[in-house]
Amino acid sequence: MKRIHHRPQVIFKKRATAADMADSASSSRISTDTDVDEEFVHDFSTTLSSPAMAPEIPDLFSYAPPVVDSLETETSLKQNEVVQQCLEYLTAKDPDSVYNLHGVARLERATHKAFLHKGLGKYPDRFVPADASRPWYLYWCLSALALLGEDVSSYRERLVATARSMQNDYGGFGGGCGQTSHLATTYAVVLALTLVGGGEAYEVIDRRAMWRWLCSLKQPDGGFQVAMGGEEDIRGAYCAAVIITLLDLPLNLTPESPAWTGDESKTLFTDVPEYVRRCQTFEGGISGQPDTEAHGAYAFCALGCLSILDAPGRIIPKYLDVPRLVAWLSSRQYAPEGGFSGRTNKLVDGCYSHWVGGCWPLIEACLNGSAGATEANNLPQASGSLFCREGLIRYILCCCQDLPRRGGLRDKPGKNSDPYHSCYVLSGLSSAQYQWRWAPGENDEDGWNVSLYTDEEQIYEDNDLVAPIHPVYVMPQSAVNDIRLYFSAKQGF
Amino acid sequence: MPPKGKAAAKPKETSASASKPSSAPTPPSTISERTQQRIEATNPPITLSSGLSSLSPTEKTLWINSRFARSPTLRAKLGTKAQRDLWRHVNEASLPIRSLAPPSKPITATTTIWGTDKSGRDVGTYTPTQFSERTSKRARLTSLAAASDAFADLRRRAQLRIPDPLTGEDPVLLEADVEAERARRKEMAALRGELYGERTGTYASDPEWDDVTPVALEEPEGALAAIAYPDDYAEAIGYLRAVMLRKEYSPRCLRLTEHVIGLNPAHYTVWLYRASILFALGVDVPEEMRWLNGVALANLKNYQIWHHRHLLVEQYWPVIEGDEGKREEFARGETEFITRMLEEDTKNYHVWSYRSFLVRKLGLWKSAGERERRLVEEMVKEDVRNNSAWSHRFFVVFSDPEQSTEGVGATEFDPKVPGEIVDREVGYALEKIGWAPQNQSPWNYLRGALVKGGRKLGSVKGEVEGYVRDIGGEGEDVRSTHALDLLADIYAEEGDREKADLCLRRLAEKWDPIRAGYWGWRRKMLEADKRD
Repeated sequence: MKRIHHRPQVIFKKRATAADMADSASSSRISTDTDVDEEFVHDFSTTLSSPAMAPEIPDLFSYAPPVVDSLETETSLKQNEVVQQCLEYLTAKDPDSVYNLHGVARLERATHKAFLHKGLGKYPDRFVPADASRPWYLYWCLSALALLGEDVSSYRERLVATARSMQNDYGGFGGGCGQTSHLATTYAVVLALTLVGGGEAYEVIDRRAMWRWLCSLKQPDGGFQVAMGGEEDIRGAYCAAVIITLLDLPLNLTPESPAWTGDESKTLFTDVPEYVRRCQTFEGGISGQPDTEAHGAYAFCALGCLSILDAPGRIIPKYLDVPRLVAWLSSRQYAPEGGFSGRTNKLVDGCYSHWVGGCWPLIEACLNGSAGATEANNLPQASGSLFCREGLIRYILCCCQDLPRRGGLRDKPGKNSDPYHSCYVLSGLSSAQYQWRWAPGENDEDGWNVSLYTDEEQIYEDNDLVAPIHPVYVMPQSAVNDIRLYFSAKQGF
Repeated sequence: MPPKGKAAAKPKETSASASKPSSAPTPPSTISERTQQRIEATNPPITLSSGLSSLSPTEKTLWINSRFARSPTLRAKLGTKAQRDLWRHVNEASLPIRSLAPPSKPITATTTIWGTDKSGRDVGTYTPTQFSERTSKRARLTSLAAASDAFADLRRRAQLRIPDPLTGEDPVLLEADVEAERARRKEMAALRGELYGERTGTYASDPEWDDVTPVALEEPEGALAAIAYPDDYAEAIGYLRAVMLRKEYSPRCLRLTEHVIGLNPAHYTVWLYRASILFALGVDVPEEMRWLNGVALANLKNYQIWHHRHLLVEQYWPVIEGDEGKREEFARGETEFITRMLEEDTKNYHVWSYRSFLVRKLGLWKSAGERERRLVEEMVKEDVRNNSAWSHRFFVVFSDPEQSTEGVGATEFDPKVPGEIVDREVGYALEKIGWAPQNQSPWNYLRGALVKGGRKLGSVKGEVEGYVRDIGGEGEDVRSTHALDLLADIYAEEGDREKADLCLRRLAEKWDPIRAGYWGWRRKMLEADKRD
């Protein structure tokens, strides 16, 4: 049912006219024609030996899937539309991309960096709806820049001033000056400060107030409210766990905490895994709060949170139905798109490259780790990759780059890039390019060991490699180690 | 002393012998021109550009006399007779005794001795009519400001109960006074805008807010990702900060939150503050809900709205808990609104989350649960792939506290779930699988229902096998990869590991290769099971 197809193809950086194409195909010179400024790919790629050579793109990523229902509904119509649109990009037909021999587009690092630096600058008044999310913009842009290999410490001074204006006396950071402290914005500010690093940045944080504030958010059922009077969800639990461990805060509760019972053995972490467990749904995935639909972003929060509390191999199988969870996670990857969706029957979106893609290192650590509990749970080790790394890399590099001019990464073709997608698409790319192992004691690090994933043929160019990113803290590992070391060496607050 | 100005007022035409005629000037077209004319008219028509010595004797006398006429200090040095001569001469020559000082630099197109207006235009280029309009506006503004000060004074005295010194009565601030002040501020704001381009904010021009000093945003130098706020937003936020700092919970603050929410519904702080105000004031929950409906429909993707609604329900619950009629009415109203929202966005996560919260909070099980199920069934009919609807159904059916065990995991067997319910749900899922076999939602539901009911997966083997043909054989066909997936588990359950392995292998090789890594792991699980 599938055809082998050969498409003699010359790949241009910019769209060329048919006449230029004919002219260019016969010679390899760079056109001097003033109104066509194309540049031949073979100047760039060492692997593409001839401009007329067709890239090797597996059928899996070139055709609609083998089993498709005929019944049309709103969901299937949207899905088909996205498949058609992605196929254009996956089959190396985007005139704005430079493809390699595998038909994978080059990562346009310089364009993305420019977009992200701009993302830290001033925004016009139509960005007022983002007024409560500014800390996120800081984290997203800085993290994405770090992933692209930029030294972000030059932003330290300005970040310190910005973060200061967002901190409240009673602890935590709001979305801006005068805004109520919120776990999400606090998480974002703490991560941003960690990314730029240095004592000056760390010392912005009032840790004593932070600890008191976190205690006031801790609920009797184990979860965390995201703000005083705010909702309780699994995001809150993950953000709190990250903040507590990065800042090396004490775990004991204050008597003012809603979770305080008088029992001094209860801590900020008490019943957190129980709360996480109640968020697993019949589908196997994780919902934001108990009783709701499984969602990719919450799956990452759940696994990240558990992996902070204990060795993944011990705690994840203890609290979650791993086979169902893995089945659900695996169902998030679609062909031919290659990317992940956030829920059953929803569309692929670049951001799930991290929310779902970032679950895989944690799942692999759970299955392959040395904690010993996996045998007891009868879970086999994962040999090779549990998800299709090639598919994800193709989706990210071919479909998620906003080219040629804007830069940044995006949800899917047809959408604009933004700092949010840039951060999480690149994080997902990192998850696909590296593998992580949980092996405490093997090095001086925190138990997480990274290496390049080399079990399969590499379909991207060396220049497309992004930096490794900590599977729990979603930042470079060195930044995580620096701040933890800094605060653990400190006496008192 | 000679009468001042007389000479200037009645110049003798004969003496106007200087370079420029000072009589009958053409009417000025601009203020600068008028100024120029006045300067010329009030200064001796002599230029000293090349020094005193270049003047003719008559001109010299004229110039010297004009100096003396203007300077009492110089005049004091003269004798009485000399002074008399001087005045006579001044009168004869119609010399102006008071003059408009000539500008230090000559008036040119770029000199702005009158200043510029709000748009940067030189006021000197105004026509006299325009200028006089501007002048009366300024006068009007001054008088309004004085009246406004009087209002502030009256209000202060009314607050402090300082009696009127004349009548001895306590001053009373009437609503009409406030209204008049409000109108006055409006006019002043308009005038300031017209004259100086100053923008007076809504709150700054509202006497109700006079006691609040807005807390301006202190954005540090070089702040990252800073937003250029529009004036109205910046002002409202400034007042919001101020009232939040002093923990004011009042009706005017409620209106302020509504305004800020209108400008930026994603501002979580204002929502939390609004909830505190409502609860402090003892809110009418249904009224707030009605207002919220409009905001929600206008902001489909916003999620703060849903937490706010959640808080309102918690607040309202004690009122309706003991009253079944009220509870029922409330549930109906909420369900209607949720349905309306889901018509706009069938998979809105926040709406569905709120819906499940509502079911649990209001205890919408039994007959109300039936209604939930029917409504969701309609949505599944509309789009059998709507997984949010499937998820909600699972929750409504399998979480009824009377028919489920608390603490049992979602993917675990629950002995408390009645068998007939499991039958019904399995039947429902199978029927819907028939509509579109590659739709994963009912497959997940089917497996979930079987596990909850403690049924063997093999109890649906016949139906599932209907979606695949001749696996591994010549005529192999698969209408649903999910059927193949479930079959692998069914065969494994039966102990037929080879058949199970074949299903998984075919999934990896042909029918669902993007998940090959996962299918491989499943095959390893079969191996692990064998070792047991």
